[in-house]
Amino acid sequence: MKKLVQLNVNGDTHELAVNPDETLLGVLRNHLDLIGPKRGCDSGGCGCCTVHVDGKAVYSCMMYAVSAQDKNVVTIEGLGQNNDQGNGNGRELDPLQQAFIDAGAVQCGYCTCGVIMAAKELLDTVKNPDEDEIRHAIAGNLCRCTGYQKIVDAIKLAAAAV
Amino acid sequence: MTLPDLSDYFVPTQESELIDLLGRFGERAMIVAGGTFVHGLEARGLLSEVEALIDIGRLGLGGISQDAAGVTLGATTTLAELRRADFVQTDPAFGALQDALDYPPVQIRNVGTVGGCLAASAPLYDVPAALFALDGTACVRGAGGARDIPLNEFFVGLFENALRTDEFIAAVTLPKPAARTASAFLKLETNANDLAIINVAVRITLGENGRCADSRVVIGGGVGECYVRAGSAEAALEGGKAGGELFATAAAAVAHDIEPVTDQRGSEAYRRHMAIVYTRRALERALGRMVTGGTNG
Ligand SMILES: Cc1cc2nc3c(=O)[nH]c(=O)nc-3n(C[C@H](O)[C@H](O)[C@H](O)COP(=O)(O)OP(=O)(O)OC[C@H]3O[C@@H](n4cnc5c(N)ncnc54)[C@H](O)[C@@H]3O)c2cc1C
Ligand code: FES
Ligand code: FES
Repeated sequence: MKKLVQLNVNGDTHELAVNPDETLLGVLRNHLDLIGPKRGCDSGGCGCCTVHVDGKAVYSCMMYAVSAQDKNVVTIEGLGQNNDQGNGNGRELDPLQQAFIDAGAVQCGYCTCGVIMAAKELLDTVKNPDEDEIRHAIAGNLCRCTGYQKIVDAIKLAAAAV
Repeated sequence: MTLPDLSDYFVPTQESELIDLLGRFGERAMIVAGGTFVHGLEARGLLSEVEALIDIGRLGLGGISQDAAGVTLGATTTLAELRRADFVQTDPAFGALQDALDYPPVQIRNVGTVGGCLAASAPLYDVPAALFALDGTACVRGAGGARDIPLNEFFVGLFENALRTDEFIAAVTLPKPAARTASAFLKLETNANDLAIINVAVRITLGENGRCADSRVVIGGGVGECYVRAGSAEAALEGGKAGGELFATAAAAVAHDIEPVTDQRGSEAYRRHMAIVYTRRALERALGRMVTGGTNG
């Protein structure tokens, strides 16, 4: 039996019929084509599915889509300013996205969208976080490529820019 | 669908509705609060018989209140909300909670709930060990009315608790700590996102004379089917002069109270040894908190 659910995602409202045990991650990727959030472990162990729900970082693989009813979901696709003037330039990057590029903090990129969403909550709540706070904020996100140093550097760079 | 027998996802807005649903589906009902433990079970294929998921997020069971008797934590209070609470941030008596709440990743703190972490009854978690050491009580409601279950009696086995199938946790209460009380928690883990190899939550209350008037020592993480309240360590602390020597003796006594297992995270001998080391360090940490002061006592 499907359930009707209204989801606000990146500022748009969607009404969807979903299986009651479908996860938010499944709905984002399979119904809404938002493939920034990745499926890694599907059980809270890797963080690459991290999105914001009402401004808070959550593992979208661990949340039933139905329970996100009426909440505001933001994925990496919803970051940055929308300045699409029909010229194809789309969005202006969030300072965190820019900093990840500038610091070379992306290798395979599989973890990146999740790490940025975790870091985003940190920068939204703490001004000028120190290295400990940064590492603590991304402790729920695994990266198997970078060794984390460049990720930490990127978050510092973004913190200085906001 | 990963839950082949699922008939519906219910979102009750009245407690009576919740109790009816729990009565109707019995063992085949699964309460969902933050869902972080539920998803773990689902991922392991352990929920194949569940017919009803019951989301308790819209019952108004959240929120923290304080009065002369102590603090009340609504069951759906998230770990993040609890971590931000003033008493957790500043009162040495609640230091164990502050320490324990540092461990779950932010994505879990933001959705995981106080009621959920207790009802999961996994003696490997950190936050319940701290709530246990602070003499927490689960306030439970169900078809038969309301009752209070001290955490001492709440955990009855691995993933098993004293709740009847028609009951749910409405809140958790922590009594107002006595003056000159401090607590602390420590976890030994393999990496930043792992379950405890062992964890220890302690609470000490000193008398006017600086001697230990009351204590709790709770150990979790592969040392038994449930959290272990280390009675031998508490007895060793009783009446002694708080400090390194007493703490070393009390910590050594922990070895009599636990039955560690050997698994991929650590051997029985390693766990036993580290339980002693971490108990001593946790006691020192609690005492340090009391000395540096805070708002209580
Ligand atoms: C990746 C990961 C890392 C973690 N790291 C840590 C850590 O470092 N330290 C730590 O302490 N914990 C950790 N945890 C555990 C986490 O704290 C718990 O999973 C969480 O608190 C459970 O709360 P929930 O609301 O999500 O529970 P749910 O998954 O919603 O429910 C848990 C269980 O309790 C039942 N239930 C829920 N609420 C009630 C209620 N009010 N009455 C009766 N039954 C109820 C459910 O039916 C289910 O059986 C981690 C978990 C994950 C997935
Ligand atoms: S896919 Fe969600 S935490 Fe790994
Ligand atoms: S860049 Fe490859 S996992 Fe992080």
